[in-house]
Amino acid sequence: MSHVHAAPLGLIAEEHVDALAAGATLLGSGGGGNVVLAEQLVRHAVRRRPVVVRRADALPPDAHVVHVGVVGAPDVLAERLIDPHDMAVAAHAVAEQAGRGLDAVGIIEIGGLNALAGVVAAAELDLPLVDGDLMGRAFPSINKTTIALAGGSAAPLSVVSPAGDTVVVTRSSAPLAERLLLTCAGAFGGAGALALYPTSAAWLAEVGIAGSLSACVALGAAFRSAPAGQVAGLAVRLGGTALFEGRVDEIRPRDGALPGSITVSDRAAGSAARVDHLDEFLAVTVDGITRACTPDVVVGIDPTSGGVLSVGQVRPGQMLSLVSLPALHRWPASAADVVGPRAFGLDLELEEVAR
Amino acid sequence: MTSALRLGIDVGGTNTDAVLVDGRRVVAATKTSTTPDVTGGIVAAIADLGRVGDVDLSTVSAVMIGTTHFINALVEGTRLTPTAAIRFGLPATSALPPLADWPERLRSAIGGRGYLCHGGHEYDGSQVADFDERELRDVLDKALEAGARSFAVSSVFSPVNAEFELRAARIIAETAPGAPVSLSHDIGRMGLLGRENATVINAALRDLADRVTTGLSQSVSSAGITAPVFLSQNDGTLMDVDYARRYPVATFASGPTNSMRGAAFLSQQLDCAVVDVGGTTTDVGVLQSGFPREASADVAVAGVQTNFRMPDVLSLGIGGGSLVEGDPAAPRVGPHSVGHRLTEQAMVFGGDRLTATDLAVAAGLVDVGDRDRVAHLPPALVRAALDRIGERVGEVVDRMRISADPVPVVAVGGGSILVPDELVGASSVIRPENHAVANAIGAAIAEVGGEVDRVFSVSPGQRDTVLDEARQEAVDRATAAGARPGSVRVVDIEEVPLAYLPGNATRIRVKAVGELALTGPARAGHDHEHVPA
Repeated sequence: MSHVHAAPLGLIAEEHVDALAAGATLLGSGGGGNVVLAEQLVRHAVRRRPVVVRRADALPPDAHVVHVGVVGAPDVLAERLIDPHDMAVAAHAVAEQAGRGLDAVGIIEIGGLNALAGVVAAAELDLPLVDGDLMGRAFPSINKTTIALAGGSAAPLSVVSPAGDTVVVTRSSAPLAERLLLTCAGAFGGAGALALYPTSAAWLAEVGIAGSLSACVALGAAFRSAPAGQVAGLAVRLGGTALFEGRVDEIRPRDGALPGSITVSDRAAGSAARVDHLDEFLAVTVDGITRACTPDVVVGIDPTSGGVLSVGQVRPGQMLSLVSLPALHRWPASAADVVGPRAFGLDLELEEVAR
Repeated sequence: MTSALRLGIDVGGTNTDAVLVDGRRVVAATKTSTTPDVTGGIVAAIADLGRVGDVDLSTVSAVMIGTTHFINALVEGTRLTPTAAIRFGLPATSALPPLADWPERLRSAIGGRGYLCHGGHEYDGSQVADFDERELRDVLDKALEAGARSFAVSSVFSPVNAEFELRAARIIAETAPGAPVSLSHDIGRMGLLGRENATVINAALRDLADRVTTGLSQSVSSAGITAPVFLSQNDGTLMDVDYARRYPVATFASGPTNSMRGAAFLSQQLDCAVVDVGGTTTDVGVLQSGFPREASADVAVAGVQTNFRMPDVLSLGIGGGSLVEGDPAAPRVGPHSVGHRLTEQAMVFGGDRLTATDLAVAAGLVDVGDRDRVAHLPPALVRAALDRIGERVGEVVDRMRISADPVPVVAVGGGSILVPDELVGASSVIRPENHAVANAIGAAIAEVGGEVDRVFSVSPGQRDTVLDEARQEAVDRATAAGARPGSVRVVDIEEVPLAYLPGNATRIRVKAVGELALTGPARAGHDHEHVPA
């Protein structure tokens, strides 16, 4: 993120909300749920009182941090909305099960809706929020975290329904945690409030992605100050790379767990790009060469309005600009099976990846 | 043989335009000033049309009206009905009650109060909570006491199951007989807050819609026309006047849509940028295959987020009535405008305000009013101001075009003379005949639509079958709404799998349109269940 100056935040106040939402949308990589919905809640919450932000290494080493957010289908959240109270219930349930207090709130993923959900939860619980997260972007599954990779457990974890039904999982292996979450969310009508990955501040300072909340706000501020319609300049301003711009020829939807693809062509240049996607944009391959792939963040931009597009908003016939942002976190080589293209069923020739 | 003569009327903030179209031929066109009561301008336009076209108006087979009246009322915050917004969603949704995100000024303009009740559905059709009739009756008592005269009802996942909204409508009809009720599943798509906001806006416009639609019907019949009256909707398709009375919000984006569709018809260009210069603003949009490109993101109306699919339009505060102000060496044009008082206040019409129209006359681009009255303007000022207009229009066209190649630009609207012959990003600037009445022509040639937007369960290998089913349903709805069978075609299809849900739930949206069947019964309108109101 060499081009974005991320001054460490001490607070999230009303003046930060627009940039926070814009940054979370960018880091959603085309997914991560409806940010607008949570943006309203953040605005209401911080208008009453700003949320205090602390880096994990600035908290007492034994402070107990619980990561809070929502799980489930974006379409369900768009109908049933999000309730800060449910997130507070989930966080307390985890702290109680862990036999520790609740000293600070962590953000699960800095991309998309959950970046803002963490802020809302911290406001509701009146606790400091950790300047960091566990994914460095949005990922569709709860295993793809730095804590899981370091051998930590998501449990005890808790899922809470709008009616207050509370499930607490005391122990769980990483792969099963994901299935348990989705099963609970399914039973709760497709979505629920979520708390998990309880940890000491000291360990979080070692394994978390420090400073990503400040980076998110800085990224959003840089995006908002860029003139519309100049994608190449925007990419530079964001510290990223302009990959391709063209007209959307074909959209092949995903088939269950198999990624779908969007074909974009630039007839004048005789060039074409394929964008692989599931819930997020996963990889961009231009004329057979993969130019960006997960865990890089791929941003789709409507060059007309300058707005960021989610996977579901891309339509045939429209112009689409693709920009990659470097991952906020340098994942170790051992993470390839968790956050790399293979983890999403993509068989890309990685040696051809031109970075 | 039935007459194919169609009368198209566009009621803008400044002008009321009327055209007679027979097949592909424009028989007559006229432009008059919009009157504050709207109907006066329409009566004058129709009378004028009869004289100009030398036609027997009783042979008109359909009247299509496009109006920006309702969106203007919302933006101005005037003529709105005190409205109660009732949502079924508890125990969910309480963190963001109805109207929570509305600008304070507009919320008080509609006397808006939001109420929450238990209920709503899940995506699979099961209930969030039981219907509590007593709770609703308590809410109604409070709302009526607070002065509510129109009701907006929303319910979680009502596009999947509308039961709560329909039951509430029956109880409101008992408790407050005659009070208008607007139901969210009739109005918006998935996404509770956007759908609910659109429903509240609709509810707040119901009294005005009663008066306006009655006025429109009377002005048409007083001109000796017995043909059915239709209004144009956001997507360029038609609704009958009775439907418009109940769903005024469906007219919101009809202005830009009609202007673009009219421009396509007149210029024979199916893929182009359209620049529509009105009295106060210039709208720039893009046509793809003859239909306006839709905006990807949700659209805010008067500061309220809705989930309408609107045409992708960029607006500039420049029009024929824009005031020219500031330093003569670097003059500003707009956003202030004399609006519909152009013919009183512009210099060429004897007024004392310098407008963009005066510039055009002084430069010899157009000959309206009294040219001598602007002869004294310094040529350098006129040139600088007109160049500035051209630059700003060019910037917007350049941003809107959809390919690296320059695109044809069709300039329409009363002020289109202000668009220069050469524009950045334009391969050519086309000024079709009758361009000044493109909106009215877009209304006159409008078609009838049918839409499906639902969650389907798609079993493995069944995708094509389900898509065919949805297509057929959209075509059937268009036919039921009054389209001529055989002319209906699918113009848009979209499928989005719902993430993280079991059962391969997929949201499918299909839109079909067809020609209005002029020989059949006049019942064009929408495809939803009728509201008991």
